[in-house]
Amino acid sequence: MVSQQVPSLAVDVPVSGTERRRVWPRFLTSEHPFPWLAPITALILAFGVYPLLYALWLTFFKRNPVTRLNVFNPTWNWGKLFADERVWGAIGHTYLYTISALLIELGLGLAIALLLDSDRRGYGLLRALMTLPLVVPPAVTGMMFLLMLDGSFGVLSTGLVSLGLWSPQHPILASSGSALAGVLLADIWQWTPFMVLIMLAGLRALPKEPFEAAAIDGATASQAFFRLTLPMLSRIIALAVLIRGVDLFRIYDYVKVMTDSGPGTSTETLTSYAGTIYFKNADFPYASTISLFTLLLVIVTSSIFIKLFKVRF
Amino acid sequence: MSFKKFDQQTFIVDTANAYTNGQISKREFLRKLGLAGVGFSAFSLGMLGNPRGLRRGSLLGTPAYADGLPDNQAKWLKEVGSKFKGAKIRYSTESTPPSVILNQIKKEFTDPTGIEVEVEIVPLEQVLAKATQDVQGQLGSYDLYYLDQSWISMFQPDCIDPVAYYKDKPELAMPDFDWDDFSKPLVKNVAQVDGQWMGIPFDIPIFTLMYRKDILEKHKIAVPTTYEDYLAAARQITEAEKGNGIFGTGLQAKSGHYSLECDWSQAVWGHGGSIFNKNKKFSGNDEQGIAGLKWYQDLLKVSPPNSTASTWDGQFEMMHSGQIALAQSWDEFFPGLDADDSKVKGLWEPAKPLTAKKLRPASEAGFNEQPNLGHQGGSCISLSKYSKNKEAAWIFMQWGCCKEIMTRCTLLGGFAPMRNSSFADPRVKAKAKVGAGTTRHLETVKWVIDNAMATEPHMALWAGLSTNEIPTELGKLLTGQAYGGDPKACMDALAKQIDAQVKDAGLL
Repeated sequence: MVSQQVPSLAVDVPVSGTERRRVWPRFLTSEHPFPWLAPITALILAFGVYPLLYALWLTFFKRNPVTRLNVFNPTWNWGKLFADERVWGAIGHTYLYTISALLIELGLGLAIALLLDSDRRGYGLLRALMTLPLVVPPAVTGMMFLLMLDGSFGVLSTGLVSLGLWSPQHPILASSGSALAGVLLADIWQWTPFMVLIMLAGLRALPKEPFEAAAIDGATASQAFFRLTLPMLSRIIALAVLIRGVDLFRIYDYVKVMTDSGPGTSTETLTSYAGTIYFKNADFPYASTISLFTLLLVIVTSSIFIKLFKVRF
Repeated sequence: MSFKKFDQQTFIVDTANAYTNGQISKREFLRKLGLAGVGFSAFSLGMLGNPRGLRRGSLLGTPAYADGLPDNQAKWLKEVGSKFKGAKIRYSTESTPPSVILNQIKKEFTDPTGIEVEVEIVPLEQVLAKATQDVQGQLGSYDLYYLDQSWISMFQPDCIDPVAYYKDKPELAMPDFDWDDFSKPLVKNVAQVDGQWMGIPFDIPIFTLMYRKDILEKHKIAVPTTYEDYLAAARQITEAEKGNGIFGTGLQAKSGHYSLECDWSQAVWGHGGSIFNKNKKFSGNDEQGIAGLKWYQDLLKVSPPNSTASTWDGQFEMMHSGQIALAQSWDEFFPGLDADDSKVKGLWEPAKPLTAKKLRPASEAGFNEQPNLGHQGGSCISLSKYSKNKEAAWIFMQWGCCKEIMTRCTLLGGFAPMRNSSFADPRVKAKAKVGAGTTRHLETVKWVIDNAMATEPHMALWAGLSTNEIPTELGKLLTGQAYGGDPKACMDALAKQIDAQVKDAGLL
């Protein structure tokens, strides 16, 4: 076997007469942070910054569907976006969906967390079970609820109809008035446990002394909750709302799987509309513009929220 | 959302759909979901139930049909194909009967040639997205394209003319391939654009009439032949049978889905209209177009409410489960209706499609649209100009589309073949009886192909218009989200949108 010399970064430099010293490149022995940050910086540039810049670049072009060429026209897509009625409808659905889901998930999450905040036997198991929906991929959750809400044989639909709570003439996912609620149902089932976990962590971190003092002073449970628990949890709640809110704003999976933005455009969100334009119309520049516009909305909305609620990280 | 996450999710959805449609076994379903990182408990495994047979009730893998190729073609496959041993070819396709069956029997190609074949079976819009991305970047990720007739003109610059390639590469040409054996109307409408060959006809679902003879007899209703008769019959059956959970008809009216556009365009053609007029302007809002849409709205009133959430799969399920009695829809449903798991085995009958009072001639329509009685949703399989394994892919393409394999696919699945010889094959005729993989509808199908095949416009914008703008606006109308039930308002809004897009694309 021929032995190969492994190239080394080190070089031998003359020190005096015949003596030589092995010297390593300075960046490998430097205490400067750059060499150590370079790999992660490269990854962020490649997978975060470059796609974003490329999307931004695309927005300056108009796609010709016949020649399939992108022609430079910097205002075309933005002009189209502001004139597109579907975009405004999608913004409305996105905010409606985000706010509804947040309020319900937060309320339910806090209530369940309060119920589970106990060291008694069995509660640990209950807390573990609560997290199960979180490990199901959202697309599978969407499929599950699509089947359960099917107007012909879905267990939830037929159950509601047989209880006289729903008209069989208006299947939940096939009616423009109720489809968004059907999609919300899947989201709430899957993500309420996330809120529960965060609230539980917050509850368990609260100091006991103020509650003991309140009990001695004769405070009722509701007084303790509204005057102690909620104020002390406010930071945690604001953070949870921010994280979940940003995630909800980008809702795609459930909409795609359950309704494909329909009926009509009644469940169309910004991300699902961008997907439609990308996958069905193959208008990549316009889809990129909608995506960037969504990003801008997320940034603006979350900044306002952070300012208003003084969220600290 | 990252592409990786998107791919994972679409993979899960496609796998779940394939399982619920009975196209893969429970074992395969679990294996694929395992790959996607989805775990199942023993309890949920039990809840999955037993796998159903293939939706169309085929006899996949029946050894009796594994007759093999004629000697000269088998020799060619071995000798010419093995020169490309080790090559790997890829294509993505919709879950159509020939795609599924070809995937099942591909071992008969891979064993003698040593060429690997990777088939991605995904929903139609994803096939389009993948092909679009591939041609956009001229990536050559896919060696073959499955091209639906509705997008074929989009890919005109990207495909190799197969007839010319056959002549140019005699050393790769399969003996006795017989190009003249392909059905002429199919070649013209499914595999050619402006007379140029784009690929080889591969699949031909086409609209025809199907009816439950027992229900029609019970209510003394003659088989409808006109659009008016059909609506009257559907109304009568719904009124009489709704209490038993049976409706006159059911639709594939899912908003934003191509299936709704297919239903709508057939209704428009059937009332003497067209999608575009000869001036290349959208004409769904003319008198005939509105009449067609009104008829469709009336039909929806006597259909299962879930019609507005149903694609072709949902419509087939309505037929298969005995929920509806009439359908003017895809012929490829028919073998599944005679399958062993069908609740209505032997009760459905095929008939010629409904007759229009007056059809608009093709010369009065735009973009090579052909208004007629039977909407076709055919596809061809095309060789990519950007393929890095052109020769290997070409060998596979010829094998998959040769007489014996195409006939075998029909025998296994019962769907319409592309070749006249397959229609005439004694083995195919022998299966024209009630039973799994029946071919008893093929005589009617052949008549529709030869005499009444309707084709959508061929233009670069059509893929988007037919899957997004048209079915979305129709969905708004049909579900009451907009237009207050007024078909004219809906069509006028569409006309404004579409004409602007056509003008902007420089197609006027």
